[in-house]
Amino acid sequence: MSFRIAKTAFKNISRNMRRSILSGTAIAVASMSIVALFALIGGMSQDMKNNLRNFYTGDVRVRNKDYEEYERFNPVHLTVNINKAGEAISKIDGIESWVPRVSFPSSIYIDGSTFSAIGTGVDLERERNYFDLDSIVVAGRLPERGKKEMIMGAVLARNLHLELGDKITFQTMTADRSTNAITLKITGLAAFPVASLNSKYFWMPLDRAQDFLNMPGEAQEILVKTSHNIKPLLAAEKLSAALSSSGTELEVKQLEDISMMFGLIRMAETVYNIIGIFFFLLGSTVIINTTMMVIFERMREIGTLSALGMHGRELVKLFLLEGTFISAIGAAVGVAAGILLVAYLSKTGIDFTDAMSGMEFEMSSILYPKLNAGKTIFVYFYAVAIACLATLIPSRKASKIQPVEALRYI
Amino acid sequence: MKRIILTILAIIMLPISIFAISGEEIVRLADEAQTFKTAKSSGEFQVTDRFGTKITSFNSWARGESESFIEFTSRAERGQKILRTKDEIYLYYPDAEELIRMQGSALRQGVLGSDISYEDMTGGKDRAKQYTIEITGEEKVLGRDCWILKLTAKTRTVPYPKEIVWIDKKSYLVLKGEYYTKSDRLLKEMEVLEIGIFDNIETAARTRISDTMKSDSETVLVLKTFKANVALDNRIFSLEELW
Repeated sequence: MSFRIAKTAFKNISRNMRRSILSGTAIAVASMSIVALFALIGGMSQDMKNNLRNFYTGDVRVRNKDYEEYERFNPVHLTVNINKAGEAISKIDGIESWVPRVSFPSSIYIDGSTFSAIGTGVDLERERNYFDLDSIVVAGRLPERGKKEMIMGAVLARNLHLELGDKITFQTMTADRSTNAITLKITGLAAFPVASLNSKYFWMPLDRAQDFLNMPGEAQEILVKTSHNIKPLLAAEKLSAALSSSGTELEVKQLEDISMMFGLIRMAETVYNIIGIFFFLLGSTVIINTTMMVIFERMREIGTLSALGMHGRELVKLFLLEGTFISAIGAAVGVAAGILLVAYLSKTGIDFTDAMSGMEFEMSSILYPKLNAGKTIFVYFYAVAIACLATLIPSRKASKIQPVEALRYI
Repeated sequence: MKRIILTILAIIMLPISIFAISGEEIVRLADEAQTFKTAKSSGEFQVTDRFGTKITSFNSWARGESESFIEFTSRAERGQKILRTKDEIYLYYPDAEELIRMQGSALRQGVLGSDISYEDMTGGKDRAKQYTIEITGEEKVLGRDCWILKLTAKTRTVPYPKEIVWIDKKSYLVLKGEYYTKSDRLLKEMEVLEIGIFDNIETAARTRISDTMKSDSETVLVLKTFKANVALDNRIFSLEELW
């Protein structure tokens, strides 16, 4: 009996192919959109975390214990001894890589006008191990250790009408709380993933920055990346203990405790998920609407089937199976299309450069959606389930209608 | 009888009106008292902020009212130089391949992080022409009788639109000063802490300057040596000499 109903359900699908395709397409488009949306949200969230880890906080950040209190006064002199911190870090298992950095706000004087930029002294060898450093170079090359060279954010260079090979003089406060200036040659242009880095920053070799800022052997902060087998919190605790035992009092914080930054990610994730749920529900209404309309417009057929002796439960089963077949195929096509779309976009990226210009946000201007297997499987089963449930309401109603009454729907 | 009284009063008042000194004259004499044909000095900035006190030493040469050259000698700033010509201020840093010409908003920056701005170094010393001057009272500063003068700028080219200065009646040294915006917001305070005699010339040996825009900050300018009207090489004040 069930087999016969299933056969009939299949027949019904192919009998009105246009209607079935339309219904299936609606389910497919909704599924595809939801898959793509979740992938975009996942990509945004992952992107922000990566940017924070690579450029701002690491998994664990080491700073002078007083730095945060005086951060707004640009306390270049509140430093961390790189060797001492390095020794402590080497004692901890599960540390992937670490980098010392020195950041300093500076003034640039060009043709009688004053501009501002933020310089960062970086250890180029360590940075290469820390993240894909070479990927940020869009023109020229990275500066060389010991040389008065820099790589400048491409947008900053464009705003200042500077090109490769130009020499620029920067003036800043030093660790002696005095002033100093240095002339650096632009050897490369960088496309940092974060818009604010692109429009404000230049990177120079750490040794040159230390010399210029009168802070030999010191850094402003050390960013540490942990491997998967140690949690940042545990790594921070161990590092803090190792530093204390060596008599060095520093502030060691894990990513989540650097409240403002991580709070921002949490907030962004919540907002993204709300937006995601909203679109998810919107997609669901499309599926429900299409499925219900398909049954409501077939009341005459239902009446005829009842007149021919088909019972209510069989009718419900018939329409449920029809809905299941259509939604299973539609959702499969939609999810597959979503996967293909995400796979393509995850390689090309979605360029938000113009939309994000001038925004102070730790999110890349080019976003790469990231597929989440669990969420994708969930979307498939959710779409099928929603479509099946949506058939139940009208088919149950239809099953209770007398054949004569059903004919009035003509 | 009435005419006789008026005549006597007029005779009594005459010397006062002849010898009363105007605000413009006081400021002109004060500017002259601090302007020398040439001068050579050395000293230090003691900059105190929330992080402690930093000392920067320097040698300085000056010619007339608008040319000066400062070379820093303390370890952190060794080799840095500031040249002030009639119209410009140039900074030389050993690591920089070009001179930095200070102008516009950059002039408001503190010299080596001190409370003394580059703007404080600009402008001639002919304040009598640049300001409307009014004597508002008298007061003792450092035990010396001073006039209190209120200076209101006539032009926009001066660093401070309003100034209140305490000028010593005897030496014409400015012993205290308050510097305001046009809307009477206090920008800077200056106070001579100690007067010294160098080469028979009385001048401020220790001066405290405080930029009210920078909280918890003050700079004491200490003059260690001072010699006026010394022979100076003309090249000292040239851009070429900076390199």
